[in-house]
Amino acid sequence: MTPSDSDSTGAVLETDGLDLWYGSQQALRSVTFAVPALQVTALIGPSGCGKSTLLRCFNRMNDLVEGCRVEGRIEYRGDEIHRPGFDVVDLRRRIGMVFQKPNPFPMSIYDNVAYGPRVHGETDRDRLNECVERSLRQAALWDEVQDRLGDSALGLSGGQQQRLCIARTLAVEPDVILMDEPCSALDPIATAKIEDLIDALKQRYTVIIVTHNMQQAARVSDWTGFMYLGRLVEFGRTSQVFEAPHEELTERYITGRFG
Amino acid sequence: MPTTVTSVTSPLHLPRAHAPARREQAFSFLWFACALMAVVTVGFILASLVIEGLPAFNDTGVLRFVLGDTWNPTFDPPSYGILPLLVGTLLVTLGAMAISVPLSLGAAIYLAELAPARVREVVRPAVELLAGIPSVVYGFFGLVVLVEWLRVTLSVPSGESVLAGSILLGIMSLPTILSVSEDALFAVGRDLREGSLALGATRWQTISQVVVPAALPGISAAVILGMGRAIGETMAVLMVTGNAAVIPEPLFNILSPVRTLTGTLGIEMGEVAIGSPHYHALFAVATVLLAVTLVVNLGATALLSRLNAAAAGRSMSSTPGRLVASLFSTRVLLGLAAGIVALVAGSTWGLIPALGVLSVSAVLSVATGRLSRRQSEAIAFALFRVAVVVVLLVLALILFDIVSKGLPAISWEFLAGTPKDLGRGGGIFPAIFGTLCLVAGSIAFALPIGVGAAIHLVEYRSEGRVTRAIRSGVDLLNGTPSIVFGLFGFSFLVLHLNLGVSMLAGQLTLGLMVLPTIIRTAEEALRNVPQSLREGSLALGATRWQTISRVVLPTAAAGIVTGTILSIGRAAGETAPILFTAVVFSQRQLPGSLFEPVMALPYHLFVLSTTVPGSDLNRYGTALVLILVVCGIYAVAIAVRNRFSTTMRL
Ligand SMILES: Nc1ncnc2c1ncn2[C@@H]1O[C@H](COP(=O)(O)OP(=O)(O)O)[C@@H](O)[C@H]1O
Ligand SMILES: [Mg+2]
Repeated sequence: MTPSDSDSTGAVLETDGLDLWYGSQQALRSVTFAVPALQVTALIGPSGCGKSTLLRCFNRMNDLVEGCRVEGRIEYRGDEIHRPGFDVVDLRRRIGMVFQKPNPFPMSIYDNVAYGPRVHGETDRDRLNECVERSLRQAALWDEVQDRLGDSALGLSGGQQQRLCIARTLAVEPDVILMDEPCSALDPIATAKIEDLIDALKQRYTVIIVTHNMQQAARVSDWTGFMYLGRLVEFGRTSQVFEAPHEELTERYITGRFG
Repeated sequence: MPTTVTSVTSPLHLPRAHAPARREQAFSFLWFACALMAVVTVGFILASLVIEGLPAFNDTGVLRFVLGDTWNPTFDPPSYGILPLLVGTLLVTLGAMAISVPLSLGAAIYLAELAPARVREVVRPAVELLAGIPSVVYGFFGLVVLVEWLRVTLSVPSGESVLAGSILLGIMSLPTILSVSEDALFAVGRDLREGSLALGATRWQTISQVVVPAALPGISAAVILGMGRAIGETMAVLMVTGNAAVIPEPLFNILSPVRTLTGTLGIEMGEVAIGSPHYHALFAVATVLLAVTLVVNLGATALLSRLNAAAAGRSMSSTPGRLVASLFSTRVLLGLAAGIVALVAGSTWGLIPALGVLSVSAVLSVATGRLSRRQSEAIAFALFRVAVVVVLLVLALILFDIVSKGLPAISWEFLAGTPKDLGRGGGIFPAIFGTLCLVAGSIAFALPIGVGAAIHLVEYRSEGRVTRAIRSGVDLLNGTPSIVFGLFGFSFLVLHLNLGVSMLAGQLTLGLMVLPTIIRTAEEALRNVPQSLREGSLALGATRWQTISRVVLPTAAAGIVTGTILSIGRAAGETAPILFTAVVFSQRQLPGSLFEPVMALPYHLFVLSTTVPGSDLNRYGTALVLILVVCGIYAVAIAVRNRFSTTMRL
């Protein structure tokens, strides 16, 4: 299912026969697909179908879950991420993640954004300042917070916090950005801002976004994968998946005749 | 497609400087080693008690040692039977429970269910203050006020008795029982309460039939924990029970003097010849004491874990649940209250008034059968209010006595001078200095290890056999009576490691004693850090240690600081662990090194009040300074906690 379109720069992430268990419960069943570079890929499906689980496989966040076991291959730019000796920390720095619930650190707005560069060894004040400003501008938050960079990030509104988390992710200049329902805790205005942002991001980043909002998937993504009960039922161009799905299951979900 | 694509092989412009894996491993090993300390310490304590105690068990025989009815180690031939000590411990503990369980449960129900927020804000710190008063201060108060009062009102030759010990231990175990059972009541879901009220039950019916039975495992655990505290208490008991190693005749003669297991250790350990049969016998006593507290604490742990397991699907019709529900009927409550009043009346004014009270209450309790739901609610609630008032009065009484009689002693000369005339005159500066040194050293030792162990337990959790062993080790350490730490410090640090009676030995012993407190509070603080923060940091490519040091620890700092300060308070007030390891009664010069002994406030107060007649003023002065030091420390802890809990809420 590798995208064959000529304008694509190839696959950034590829999975092959990916199975995943939480204890004895299987959450992913032989998922095979490839994520096209510099495009927005949406994962949709009913809640509990394994979207977050799949997303968290890409930066090996599931390592933190006790009793979680993975089989099958995941390659990041041709490198198997489960091979012995693979540098997970480095992987996570290249594959950023924005979570469902905004999770700013209990520090100042500035320190939140500077956190990533700092843990990667950046100490130069000017470069940090420059990086913080650039990231906040990219996340369309700069104008709202530039006079209060020293204030606690916890004082921001939910939508601002989420954009801060995006800025924080951008500050380490990742290759891929994973987003797990980034708008589910936000109001419509904040949601629209983040959707615009995602559109701008694909100029420079590969974005994978989980959403259970089909309109959102249709609006922001180039590619869509539909998941059901741990399987990737269908994957293709967003226009194709929404307008002419190959699978009946997909069609029933898209048209709302489900369950 | 724009061609600003970052290159495929290295999309990052940032320097590649994250910590090498070896450093991460070194840290993870370090924390593991800290956690292991807890288990190793328990191992050492057990080993040293058993090794030193074994000769006594061998010579006397375990059965004759435990059941022998004469404890007379200095007699010829000596006899080592600890039955009187066991009975003494049992009687004093039961008496303490009889006093503190009704009071603290009544107060807990009031606080959790009825009290307006304003009252709660006053009572909570009061209870914390009650918990913070050092045991030697309780002992001192018991000796000069309580025992004296009993002697005069009961017109007996001496007030040092089971009764005095029970009252004192009852007060001391009150805060534990109160706060743990209040937590248990608080944890009962709103839905249960609302469900009952929505059916038209009164508040009192809801409390007695629904809330209390639901909180039962937690309440039982609270009682058991309080019991553990009472059993392990040394100094206060030793100062008021008379310490005659006899079994009271008849058994319920609450005016008879007794001697407890802990008291025996506190009194005899200092005078015994090292390596003699008597010395070994004392370690055997400590072994028995540790075994008893271990059983008690295991019981509480088991109950609490059942509480957590049952929290999901609890059956309200369980037998103990119904039993308690019936216990909390107004009639039984009244009976209980009448019994206590009768006891006090009987011991104060004699038998006739007691019988009078009893018969009046019998009539009353028959009458309650005819009371309306509203009336019985009013009676029950009134009793709970009385319980709170009694608790507050007790605290006020103790504080008033010590502050009013201690203030005249406070002067510059007293605070900055050295003792004269066996402490009757002069000042207590060396004792203040010694206490501060002991505390500083013990925290310097326990804080890094405790926090490290907590980091291992929370952040590197791999629930294997090792982790479980570590956890049990911490639990065991937490339940170990302070006098047992004292014995361990003496045999292992002072003798075996040849540190001598020294500041260092005292610091290490106190450090071991507060270690479990620090581990637990730090663990809780770390657990309260939301997992999403860790994930947020790791997702940015931070290493584990970077995540812990830059995000998790700063977020948990307030909790860790609070726990540490509480430990400081505890270390400052303890006497039993330093009794044989670090202190001397008087000292011309301040200690010049860690290897010299020190003076300490709690020990100074102990010696003044037990062996130096005519030092009343300085006793009170020392007690006041000690309370001020400890409570000052607690006040800081409470302030820190309140401050951070309002600003750091996520
Ligand atoms: N940490 C976990 N432990 C055990 N089971 C989990 C865990 N996380 C998710 N699951 C289970 O895996 C399945 C997929 O969950 P998830 O990936 O969160 O679904 P989605 O994001 O599509 O709603 C669900 O059945 C869920 O219960
Ligand atoms: Mg999800």
